[in-house]
Amino acid sequence: MHSRIYAIIRKETREIIRDPVYLGLAFAVPVLLMLLLGYGLSMDVKNIPVLFYDLDCSAGSREYMHSFTNSEYFRFAGLAGDYKEVEHAIRSGNIRVVIVIPPDFSRRLNKGRPAQVQFLLDGSFPMRAEIVKGYVSAINTQFNMRMVSQYLSLKGQSGNVVFPVSVEGRTWYNPSLESKNFIIPGLLVITLMFYPALLAALVVVREKESGTIFNLYCSPVSTPAIVFGKAVPYICLAFIDYLVIFFMSVFLFHVRFTGSFLLLSAGALLYIACTIGLGILISVISRTQIAAMLITFLGTMIPSFLFSGFMASITSQEITGQIISRFIPATYFMGMVRGIYLKGLGFNYYLWDLATLGLYASIIYSIAILSFRKRIG
Amino acid sequence: MMRRLLSLVQKEFAQILRDKALLFILAWAFTGAIYTAGHGMSMEVKRFPTIIFDMSKGTASRELISRVQMPYFKVLSYIQREEEITEWLDSGRASMAIVIPPDFQRRINGREDAKIQVITDGTISMSATIATAYLAQIASSYSMEIMEKQGRFTRAAFENLPIIDERLRVEFNPNNLSSWFTSLLELLNMFTMVSLLLTAAALVREKEYGTLEQLLVSPARLGEIFISKIIPTIVIVLCLSILSIFLVLKPIFNVPIRGSLLLFYSIAAIYVFTMSSLGIAIATVARNLSQAMMIMLLILAPMLFLSGAWTPPEAMAPWMQWASHISPMRYFIDFGYSVLFKGNGIAYVWKDVAGIIIMGILLFSFSIWWFGKKTAS
Repeated sequence: MHSRIYAIIRKETREIIRDPVYLGLAFAVPVLLMLLLGYGLSMDVKNIPVLFYDLDCSAGSREYMHSFTNSEYFRFAGLAGDYKEVEHAIRSGNIRVVIVIPPDFSRRLNKGRPAQVQFLLDGSFPMRAEIVKGYVSAINTQFNMRMVSQYLSLKGQSGNVVFPVSVEGRTWYNPSLESKNFIIPGLLVITLMFYPALLAALVVVREKESGTIFNLYCSPVSTPAIVFGKAVPYICLAFIDYLVIFFMSVFLFHVRFTGSFLLLSAGALLYIACTIGLGILISVISRTQIAAMLITFLGTMIPSFLFSGFMASITSQEITGQIISRFIPATYFMGMVRGIYLKGLGFNYYLWDLATLGLYASIIYSIAILSFRKRIG
Repeated sequence: MMRRLLSLVQKEFAQILRDKALLFILAWAFTGAIYTAGHGMSMEVKRFPTIIFDMSKGTASRELISRVQMPYFKVLSYIQREEEITEWLDSGRASMAIVIPPDFQRRINGREDAKIQVITDGTISMSATIATAYLAQIASSYSMEIMEKQGRFTRAAFENLPIIDERLRVEFNPNNLSSWFTSLLELLNMFTMVSLLLTAAALVREKEYGTLEQLLVSPARLGEIFISKIIPTIVIVLCLSILSIFLVLKPIFNVPIRGSLLLFYSIAAIYVFTMSSLGIAIATVARNLSQAMMIMLLILAPMLFLSGAWTPPEAMAPWMQWASHISPMRYFIDFGYSVLFKGNGIAYVWKDVAGIIIMGILLFSFSIWWFGKKTAS
């Protein structure tokens, strides 16, 4: 029995090694992906290009504009000459915010009256628009406080306006709020979701198309032995990929890593077993290589990006999203990876995640074994 | 010549239409997958898991707490000890802790500045930023009320203060619905993925089976063989995308289609040609489908995730911005949002259209040149 699994493992390993281009790609692809996505995927909402339409053209309006351009969030992108330019700027997508300062801006403020300022936000990416909204009102609040205290002290009242309740924010685990600290560990999870699935997606269906599957059908090797025998070499391959990605994250991207490497690796091994199993399951149930390829690409790439909690936390999702996220192994690994990287917690915090991944793997392999029927037609 | 091409195209259609599983997956990609992405994935911060540590236990703090509620916040627990904050945040069950200091009531009564402390989980920094901004809004509207109650201010008094009256408008998506964004993005993603995968797989399969040689010795020219692989993809993707706009985007999500559909579909057809040419180029380089899948992943992942939809150009490193110009999808995302969402005409998108066309011609000629060179030697 053992020698049979061993024989399948040897055969699969040899098939991988015999295709040096494939083997080379198997290592090069995750490295290149991490480089491209790691440096490219910046979620920081900073340097937002803002266009001003200043109808007032006074010292007051200039001071107000400075309160925006002095912050790291906004970048001065020009002054509009007329309203058509405003319209064009926001439509073209080169400008994210237009601030329209009315002609009576400083006159009203000097008289101690409120001035209406119009803000046009590009809403094509709602999450960014939401964050920009927050920045705008924070800057306005600050400006208002300054104006009001100036005004009151001019009128001889106490110049100190005290706003009764204010919020003092603190962030744990990632105090500088650097996006790389949560994006790179997230990328590790996502890459190890679709990449192993892709590696393994053709292992069975390829033999179905070429007809060599019949050799397995009439051999005495049992179905579990075939499935595990095919999985093991790919799990090893993907685990090496994990190690490469991990070391890149720490030594190249300098992500804070405060937890236990052993614990992370144990989790990664289970997780990779799940995602390789997913690939094999797809391979077992599809009839053609094209179908297997499409299912793997469509079923793993975008869902892992959208529904694993990488972009937005799962608790914010609608019920459909929450259900989908339960079917994706990345969901169970994401919290664990971010926790180990940034929070540095120990084993007992992740018992539940590890158990779930284990359960997930056993379900996936059981389904794969059950659907792998030794039959013709 | 036309007859030859026609019969080749006929053969390709027959091959695709025969594979019922494949057709089902394609139909799902353009309907079900778009529905689940738009419906399930929300980037608004909702039900943010929060705990509250109220040390003041006065009427003022109770009043404030009563405002921290659904749908934005989900208060999980009122804790009694400071150490519990660590437990809740470490385990990831809560993402935000609101701490109200013991002197909260006293400071408010004394018309001093009362600070509440907010601790957020930085491992999900984007959602945390948005949630903190929501809380700041709650605090400031509560402040207003206190000031009014204490008789320090009346609403009318605001008429007599030099402050900014902020008029904010989010263009194109006034309610910041993420379903509009995600469903449209998913449609554009499907255009990209399916055109690339389907065409590449169709050519690689002929290589693996050895039937490509038969085509090559036939009177059909190389360009005709490639075109015959591309035309079915264009037809199928366009038909399916019409389905998804009229069955999913419009009726279910009410995505406003503001621009000209004729313009959209004609450029989309060219885009499918461009992506298919990329598929052909990959297929001419790869020896088997496994290799082709690796290369496609390497190209698709950066293309999809760095298309500019998630990561606006202004957030990218300069070299990345420059590099993104070789991605046809970047142009297509710009074009798609611009035409469908913002209702722009050709005057705004001609650069994107030119980019798509030029990339298509380059890729197609590369494939013919490379393949011709290889078969000649």
